[in-house]
Amino acid sequence: MTLIQLSGVNKHFGDYHALRDIDLEIQQGEFFSLLGPSGCGKTTLLRTIAGFEDVGSGSIRIDGRDMKGVGPNLRPTNMVFQSYAIFPHLSVAENVGFGLRRADMTRDEKTRAVGEALEMVGLGGYGGRAANALSGGQRQRVALARALILKPKVLLLDEPLSALDKKIREQMQVELIKLQREVGITFILVTHDQEEALVMSDRIAVMFDGGIGQMDDPETLYRRPRSKRVAQFIGMMNFLDGEVAATGTEIEVTVQGLGRCSVAAEQAPGAVAPGPVSIGIRPETLSLLFEGETTTRKEVAAVVDEVVYYGDMTYYDVRVDGIEKPLTLSMKNLIGRPVLDVGTQTRVAWDERSLVLLGH
Amino acid sequence: MPGFFVLLRIVLQGIKPDMLRGRLTESGKRGLVLISPPFAYALLLLAVPLATILLFSFWTQDYLTIDTTFTFSNYTEAFGDPLYMALLRRSLLIAGAVTVVTVLLAFPIAYFVSFHVQPSRKSLWLFLITIPFWTSYLIRVFLWKVILGYNGVLNSSLIGVGLIDEPLSFILYNANAVVITLAHAFAPFAILPIFVALEKIDRSLLEASLDLGETRVTTFLRVTLPLAMPGVVAAVLIVFIPTIGDYVTPRLVGGPDGLMIANMIQTQFLKLNNAPMGATLAILAMLSVTAVSLVFIWLNRRWLRGPK
Amino acid sequence: MRGLRIYAIAYLVFLYAPIFLLPLFAFNDADIIAFPLSGFTTHWFEELTRNAALQAAVRNSLIIAASTAVLSTILGICAARAATMADWPLKRPMMGLIMLPLVLPEIIVAVSLLVVIVQVFGLGLSNATIIAAHTLICMPFSIAVLNGAFQNLDPALEEAALDLGESRWSAFRLVILPLVMPGIISSLLISFTISLDEFIIAFFLSGANPTMPVYIWGLLRFPGQLPVVMAMGTILVALSIILLTIAELMRRRGLKRAGLKDTGGFL
Ligand SMILES: Nc1ncnc2c1ncn2[C@@H]1O[C@H](COP(=O)(O)OP(=O)(O)OP(=O)(O)O)[C@@H](O)[C@H]1O
Ligand SMILES: [Mg+2]
Repeated sequence: MTLIQLSGVNKHFGDYHALRDIDLEIQQGEFFSLLGPSGCGKTTLLRTIAGFEDVGSGSIRIDGRDMKGVGPNLRPTNMVFQSYAIFPHLSVAENVGFGLRRADMTRDEKTRAVGEALEMVGLGGYGGRAANALSGGQRQRVALARALILKPKVLLLDEPLSALDKKIREQMQVELIKLQREVGITFILVTHDQEEALVMSDRIAVMFDGGIGQMDDPETLYRRPRSKRVAQFIGMMNFLDGEVAATGTEIEVTVQGLGRCSVAAEQAPGAVAPGPVSIGIRPETLSLLFEGETTTRKEVAAVVDEVVYYGDMTYYDVRVDGIEKPLTLSMKNLIGRPVLDVGTQTRVAWDERSLVLLGH
Repeated sequence: MPGFFVLLRIVLQGIKPDMLRGRLTESGKRGLVLISPPFAYALLLLAVPLATILLFSFWTQDYLTIDTTFTFSNYTEAFGDPLYMALLRRSLLIAGAVTVVTVLLAFPIAYFVSFHVQPSRKSLWLFLITIPFWTSYLIRVFLWKVILGYNGVLNSSLIGVGLIDEPLSFILYNANAVVITLAHAFAPFAILPIFVALEKIDRSLLEASLDLGETRVTTFLRVTLPLAMPGVVAAVLIVFIPTIGDYVTPRLVGGPDGLMIANMIQTQFLKLNNAPMGATLAILAMLSVTAVSLVFIWLNRRWLRGPK
Repeated sequence: MRGLRIYAIAYLVFLYAPIFLLPLFAFNDADIIAFPLSGFTTHWFEELTRNAALQAAVRNSLIIAASTAVLSTILGICAARAATMADWPLKRPMMGLIMLPLVLPEIIVAVSLLVVIVQVFGLGLSNATIIAAHTLICMPFSIAVLNGAFQNLDPALEEAALDLGESRWSAFRLVILPLVMPGIISSLLISFTISLDEFIIAFFLSGANPTMPVYIWGLLRFPGQLPVVMAMGTILVALSIILLTIAELMRRRGLKRAGLKDTGGFL
């Protein structure tokens, strides 16, 4: 069921075009992420959904209702702010129960609801604490409990994890996913961390310059980016020049340094036409062939140009005839595998099924 | 009234192109609604009255009525009368002297509190410095008379200690007394802006300077002082401008040689009943303060690389 | 460093010299204000209680100061809150005009208001005229104090309250007001203190009933009355110090409540 529907949303700040023709549908119960570089308009988009910014043109519907003119206090959305916005003059319990003031509940029911909400975020027994005396992770949990207690249709989270250090962040990622499954509420998460988005989301919208570059599930986004920009933003990718000869169910393409091959149409998610094209290959789909190894895949001669050792992995930059920029590839450091030295003559195995033809 | 020119400049800067096209954000609209009561208040009780005395200065007093023919005669009279000009000149000189003395005395205090007082004790020091300022101004000025008088506290204790045989007479009923008293009255006004400027200085800049081979003294001259200049400029203006408008201190401790233009403005309004002349003198006082302040700011910007 | 400390202490002595003398003469059993002191008396304080005119002046001043404090704080809240909002046309010049009395010689404010009230509108002078003028000069101080309080607020706090279902007004009442309350109390106390002590403007604008400083100014010409003035002054100083200490404590509590570090005094 479609819960949120944005059509043709535009937003200007003065002369600055902050949101460009945003069309978006988010399903009930979905964990949806807005991902993009700093300043691309993620927060702005989230705030227009919450009702803090009014839209210039276009419409926002939540649960079938047009939100035009509906204030943030009347929308079925609740927000977890980037700064958490914990009221410093109130206790933890008073913070969590803040939104229940107008609820038609007895005092006892409210107390119980607050207790349950705190329990849910793992802060049982913290109700009496002063809000100022909490750690970053705890503040984040209070903010979550405070928003979830109102049982919103949509929970909006603006970079909720960015203020936490790496360990707690990873732990909170897992907890947030669990929590979301448990309560079944639609989550919209803003993040500029691609890994976080890939780990957590059902679907991701990648934003650039106020517009949506691509919207897909994490795997499709990673494996079939539509444009060079999206591919660059998510994970690491080698880019090669190529020339499309013919299109159809099979696309005939000549790849710089690798030669002529034919790829499936689904490997060109963006529209391609005969002529020059940019081709992407992920580092993990290339592999070095060590002494004596053979492969059923295609192979090409290469020279090791740079070695970066990561412990579990080694990243190599290798030079291949006919390609100006070295190709980056990653190898798992399995037992018995040596780490090659710079200058070693070697071979690289590759597969035409892992090529992505990128639109512009 | 340097405020006027500052105002003019910010009026010109305050208008952004897209505002003129009527694009006001929600928050901007609420701001506009909220600012209206205080702004209307200031407009009615400050801008309108200021405009009115400007107008009055071009009218004349005709016995009991006001002659509303536009004329420069008040100005010609003011410029022609040696008494007015002497008072104005003296006021500027005294205000200048007060400013120099106050700021020079205040700088080391601000420096001391900012650099040599533990952070946790700083606000206590500031509190101690501001307290005397909040206690009855009239009585404070009067007590300076008691301190500085012929048989006053200072003279009797100096004689008692045996430092002098005759009471000092150059410290009361003249411009010196006015300077001392006002330097006392404006102390916190000078200390606080300098303190704020000093607090803002990144301490690692001083370490960098020492690291680059400067001594403590040259570091002070080449780093600390230039960075503290905005505070000094603010202190100078905050002391200099209101000093011109004081008539209590000159009257109580200044004697005949210590009277200032504000005393004459007061006389024109309250004793001679000549509002247009009073208004003219008030305008002249404001203009000369503004002129001096602008020259000061300009010199500072030019030579000391002060604030923009 | 040592030298600086000695200088700082000498400077404090200079600052406190007049205030230190005040109680000495207030409790001194002599008609003239001069050394040597001649014995302890509370006579001058008793005299105070018998002086009906002075009491009337004090009452007058208290009414004026209280009204000024309330008015300038309310206007100050509007302006300080507005200052935290997004820009609107002429925001800076508007704020500039409101803050202008900070750098305007008081006599200018006094004479310009006098001219407008008496000559233009033909109204009489009264307590109301003084309140109006005092509100004008206290407003910038209120704004300066309140600005600190409002600017330190995370704007997300108001949004969070809205998001949790409160209206703008109830968000203000439940979240913003409690957080800026210490600032409001400081502002009330500071405007009260300024108004209570203000002489230059009150002298021009007071009507039939003088304020306390105006009355004291009259007394300064009669040497016989001076010890009473000293007694009065002693009480005032004690009162100011108490009020300001409360204001300062409030300010610190406000900072603490907002979880901020102390950065300095009122001004
Ligand atoms: N109230 C505003 N007034 C003017 N410009 C604004 C306003 N809010 C945002 N912008 C501008 O709109 C653009 C998008 O801002 P937004 O906060 O949505 O970015 P973001 O994608 O959330 O970035 P970040 O990852 O840094 O949080 C930015 O260029 C920002 O400067
Ligand atoms: Mg953002």
